[in-house]
Amino acid sequence: MTGERRNSFDVAVIGAGMAGMAAALFAAQRGLSCIQVGSGGGVLFASGLLDLLAVHPAAEGRQWQSPFAALAALAREQPDHPLARVDPASIRTAFETFVTALGEAGLAYAPLDERNRKVLTSIGTLKTTFGVPLSMVAGANALDALDAPNTPNTPPRCLLVDFRGLREFSARQIATTLADRWPGLCHGRIEFPGFEDVPELYAAHLARALETGETRDRTIALIRPMLGDAQLVGLPTVLGLGRCREVHAAFEAGLGVPVFEIPTMPTSVPGLRLLGALETVMSARGVRRRRLASVRALAFDANTGTATLDLDGVPGGERVSARAVVLATGRFSGRGLTADRGGVRESILGLPVHQPASREAWHQRDFLDPSGHAINRAGLRTDDAWRPLDMSGKPAWPRLFAVGSILADQDWMRSKCGSGLAIATAWAAMQQLADQLHGNTG
Amino acid sequence: MKYALFLGCKIPSRLPAYELSTRAVLLRLGVTLVDLEFNCCGYPARNVSREAFVVAAARNLAIAERAGLDVLTPCTCCFGSLRHAISFLEEDPELRSRVSQALAVEGIAWSGKTEVEHLLPVLARTIGVDALGAAVRAPRAGLRVAAQYGCHALRPSNVARFDNPLAPTTFETLIRLTGATPVDWPRQLDCCGDPLHESNAPLSEHIARAKIADAKASGAEAMCTACPHCHLRFDSAQAGSPKPSIRSLLYTQLLGLAMGLDEKSLGLECPESPIRGR
Amino acid sequence: MALAATSVKKTMPHTLFHTALYASLALCVLGLLWRSSAWFRVRVGPDARAVTLSQRLGALLRGTATALFGARVLHILGACFLDVLLLRRLFAREKPRWLGHLLILAGFTLLLLMHAFEALVTVKLFPGYESTLAPYLFLRNLFGAMVVAGIALLYFERWRRRTGLVSVRRPMAAAFAVLLGFVLATGYLLEAHKIASPQAFYRMAKRYSGTTDPGELMPLRAVWASEFGVAFDDLKEPFASNVMERGRQMHDADCAGCHAKPASAFVSYPVSRLLAPVTALLDKGRADIWLLYLHVFACFLGLATLPFTRFFHAVAVPISLLVNASAPNRAFSAAGRASRRALALDACLRCGICDAHCSVAPLARHLGNPYLLPSHKLVATGALANGRLLRSGRESDGFRVAEGAFLCTDCGRCTNDCPAGLDLEDLWQAGRGDLAAAGLPAPAQWVRALPALAWAEALEAAAGQHTATDPDASCAPLSADRRSFSRCVQCQTCTNVCPVVAQSIAADHRVDLTPQKVMNLLRLGLRDLTLGSRMVWDCATCYQCQENCPEGLRVTDIMCELRALAAHRLGAVRSWKAPS
Ligand SMILES: Cc1cc2nc3c(=O)[nH]c(=O)nc-3n(C[C@H](O)[C@H](O)[C@H](O)COP(=O)(O)OP(=O)(O)OC[C@H]3O[C@@H](n4cnc5c(N)ncnc54)[C@H](O)[C@@H]3O)c2cc1C
Ligand code: SF4
Ligand code: SF4
Ligand code: SF4
Ligand code: SF4
Repeated sequence: MTGERRNSFDVAVIGAGMAGMAAALFAAQRGLSCIQVGSGGGVLFASGLLDLLAVHPAAEGRQWQSPFAALAALAREQPDHPLARVDPASIRTAFETFVTALGEAGLAYAPLDERNRKVLTSIGTLKTTFGVPLSMVAGANALDALDAPNTPNTPPRCLLVDFRGLREFSARQIATTLADRWPGLCHGRIEFPGFEDVPELYAAHLARALETGETRDRTIALIRPMLGDAQLVGLPTVLGLGRCREVHAAFEAGLGVPVFEIPTMPTSVPGLRLLGALETVMSARGVRRRRLASVRALAFDANTGTATLDLDGVPGGERVSARAVVLATGRFSGRGLTADRGGVRESILGLPVHQPASREAWHQRDFLDPSGHAINRAGLRTDDAWRPLDMSGKPAWPRLFAVGSILADQDWMRSKCGSGLAIATAWAAMQQLADQLHGNTG
Repeated sequence: MKYALFLGCKIPSRLPAYELSTRAVLLRLGVTLVDLEFNCCGYPARNVSREAFVVAAARNLAIAERAGLDVLTPCTCCFGSLRHAISFLEEDPELRSRVSQALAVEGIAWSGKTEVEHLLPVLARTIGVDALGAAVRAPRAGLRVAAQYGCHALRPSNVARFDNPLAPTTFETLIRLTGATPVDWPRQLDCCGDPLHESNAPLSEHIARAKIADAKASGAEAMCTACPHCHLRFDSAQAGSPKPSIRSLLYTQLLGLAMGLDEKSLGLECPESPIRGR
Repeated sequence: MALAATSVKKTMPHTLFHTALYASLALCVLGLLWRSSAWFRVRVGPDARAVTLSQRLGALLRGTATALFGARVLHILGACFLDVLLLRRLFAREKPRWLGHLLILAGFTLLLLMHAFEALVTVKLFPGYESTLAPYLFLRNLFGAMVVAGIALLYFERWRRRTGLVSVRRPMAAAFAVLLGFVLATGYLLEAHKIASPQAFYRMAKRYSGTTDPGELMPLRAVWASEFGVAFDDLKEPFASNVMERGRQMHDADCAGCHAKPASAFVSYPVSRLLAPVTALLDKGRADIWLLYLHVFACFLGLATLPFTRFFHAVAVPISLLVNASAPNRAFSAAGRASRRALALDACLRCGICDAHCSVAPLARHLGNPYLLPSHKLVATGALANGRLLRSGRESDGFRVAEGAFLCTDCGRCTNDCPAGLDLEDLWQAGRGDLAAAGLPAPAQWVRALPALAWAEALEAAAGQHTATDPDASCAPLSADRRSFSRCVQCQTCTNVCPVVAQSIAADHRVDLTPQKVMNLLRLGLRDLTLGSRMVWDCATCYQCQENCPEGLRVTDIMCELRALAAHRLGAVRSWKAPS
């Protein structure tokens, strides 16, 4: 009856992983009206660290100090790789735009460098990445010293603190693992204030609790006596959810030394923070969201030049139309690709998927083979304008674009380029999309 | 603009001021409200029988449908219940036929024509920010409030279709229109604790107090509510507390004041319960 | 024999009448005393159990004193007139029923004053009074007809407004209504018979003209046959005009002072015409005597039993309305409230208006549980308070009463609508307190009396005995279907976003599981282990978990289902009081 809702948009983004979020952000940034369908599945598993390109070639597992040097090598050796098809200056701009938006939504990142950074993980290993949240960067700074044997400085003395009952994070384990390489690393454990009776703790609950000043002050007061001569304090990622910048600053002020967070195992606070910040970005820029919904069918009308999306998951169903569509539905875990006996299909339209010739060729005989599995390079092939191809090798529809991990010829997990792939291809595709729309509207 | 007004059980018996102020504000904005003989939204029966819950909710929808009206409710929980019932009916044909049989006894039927809307989106989208802005005569500048959406307004978002459930802005926009300032408070999206008051009162109190403390620490002078359950829970959680409390302010009262309506018509001097005080 | 109608004096032995009258009066007074003493004896609600009889009597005295000498006295007078006499509350809600009630109330009162107490009232006020004169003949018929019309209207309304809801069964009330009808019927019949009876004519003739000779009385008989409806079987109209002329003279001389033409008795007169063919028979059987006996003794029976039937409300409702008017609700002390609740149990008319508008009436219908409806709930609250419910020993009754009590939304509609002005809201709250004390608290409470594991064991132990139909299909379709939870990757997001787990930090309100663990138990096929879990019962249905689950599980919907399923399945293995 009444209650009419807007249902036609410039752009419909299908998918709410990193790639979908980046695409929706860039679309809104360009002043396009945008609807985005899908739950933030993959984002919850993120560490908050934004990889650009850490490893190349994947088979050798070679790590790069500079992602841009790695990109150059990639462009030479694997010109089909989606990341190789975006120019480095655009990638840089895309990342800047992305982290600036996150910063405005309360999730601040350290200024982007030319280089990759090393970050301590919750199992005591070091991870190479590009974009580092502000609350984690003090750790990366300390590791710079560790990693550069020529510098006169030894790594700073550092206290790692954990909380009794928080099973997902053990300061002792990290310290033990790193004992040889980081002699000044010590650890301690405290009772989280207010949760003394609680047998099992969850990081997100602690993060929320630390957003109240009283709990924050009591926690700082418990850590201070343990400081000794530590020049640095490391904590699990519990310093606030939406207010992480404020909580982190309060800890640094209260303890008088730099404080850094160590990303906890997914899924935990980093994923929730990132998801919260990304949704805030979408809200602030007027992107219409359909979470907990999915696109069942997608059809194109050549006469009107619009696409129609039929949504599932909304009671009674919903139909929206858009002048352009971005497919950011990921691979198998994101459900953008479906595998059955006939091989791999794209889930919504059944677009042809570039894939190994037969099921036997999906995996190497050795599951841990360093060169990776062919199936992990399966995906959609596109033309130069990021438009997926149909059977005949032509764009399936003039304004259908594909971005993120659904693209073929990349193995983001092994190359450590997940976010980079998502952000870079979303940026590049959105440029093409905008050109197309403007071209069409004259 | 015409709606069937669904007040639910809580507002008439415990928070008549919400009914008064809703009617006063909507009247001024040119919305016609029709009173039909609705029953309970069904929520309490969810713990007993899914089907009984849906039957009760569907009866309300069918009555509105017979009158050819959409439903507008100022109660967030009723909103959630009615929308949930619709989603259960949509997804389960067997349930639908059993419910239809139950309704047929009364000669009514549910076919899905009736929309269920919460007051806030109707204000923000259907009436629109511009019309509201034009109606504001006496902005309440300087008042800082914590916007409390209420769980069932936002989640699950596919059922509620209210706003982005992780980063909603509707309420804040509406508050700014009155001249007041919405504060940013970390526990905004948490439950108010009301639904578990019966099963676990101490926990319910604890949750409510944590929210209130958070709003206060974030600089709010009042909780701004749009649901009788949240509103009354906040008030009663503070009733016994030794610390100075912050009051709950109904959005319709805030808006009504900004629109220059008088305090009496907004129920600002209403007793807590019309029945108790009778 | 001051009270009785003159005809009674002439027919009934003095002592018999008096004995019966005083006996039934005594029974009535004792009954009234006994019934009203219940207002100070019956305890509804835990707070009522804490106050003593003397406190309650004290509250009564104080209340009466403040009411009579306080500022509210005008208020009370107004209530007396508007609420009690004019039935204002009923008028505001249901006009036809109001009319019905008013007809009965007015007709009955006037009959009582003019007819039953004629020697006491009417004769004193109207010196020329004779029951057989105009307009008294007409008025008596009218008042009786008002009562009949009122009753008919009420039954008609009940039929017209039938809601499909069960109404409270009340055999006593029906019996009393029959008795009332009987009184009216015998009254009308008696009158009709007397109009038509030649024997009555001869008795009167003997007294006033000294003869019973049919020949001698012939002219008078002719007049009475044609104008007063006496059914002489030896006379046939038409009569010669000179006979009639003579008859009228005789009538004017001996009868006219006391007798008007009976045609104004618009009920009895037509009835007498119907009786005419059998009048001789009735005369022979002395119907005038036994009809009178029946009529009078039915009245006595009514008098004696009135306090013990539902018609006691005729006493209780006015008192309840006056008590309401005496002070605002909040001014009542605990003792005063206790008495009001007991009074409410008696003042309920069982009119069912509350049931028709009750917010949960559709639930009552669908669940087939009348105890959700206020009028039934009121009866059950009384039964619980005076021990009848518990003594009945029927567990299922107790469970259903509890279900009804705890599904009430406290919407207050019943309180607003009740024509007797009962504070039902207060009664429901008190009743829930009593239920909890009797081991019948809300499901969320009785479930938590045992840990989840114990409930699961109880279910297992009872597995053989309980062949109750599995409610899964309609009650818990999600939790019965693996597909709705098999995708869970145990990522912990649901727990991370759950405010209940996050705030469950003190031992007195701690939950036992997390939503993630509940989902895991489902995956492991251990659903029974979740049913009694605190997590399931303390879930606030805030939908954070469902909104955020990366796998799209409908965690909250499943939680709700598990509660409904638990209420059903744990309810089946629960024995009353065992877990309390
Ligand atoms: C365990 C794990 C750890 C990670 N760690 C890091 C890290 O350390 N650093 C880093 O940079 N990145 C990390 N990532 C994130 C990674 O960057 C992204 O997951 C990856 O780039 C894929 O992103 P995507 O958006 O292409 O696809 P996905 O994230 O898979 O998203 C696909 C989206 O499409 C939606 N979708 C699918 N089908 C439909 C449909 N029919 N209708 C509507 N919506 C649909 C899904 O709901 C989902 O929202 C990690 C991811 C995982 C899973
Ligand atoms: S208060 Fe309870 S019994 Fe009374 S009408 Fe409302 S739901 Fe029914
Ligand atoms: S409680 Fe009141 S409304 Fe309900 S049946 Fe009794 S008298 Fe009627
Ligand atoms: S969030 Fe979803 S997938 Fe994760 S543990 Fe909970 S139910 Fe399972
Ligand atoms: S719905 Fe229940 S289980 Fe889910 S997050 Fe809220 S309180 Fe926790």
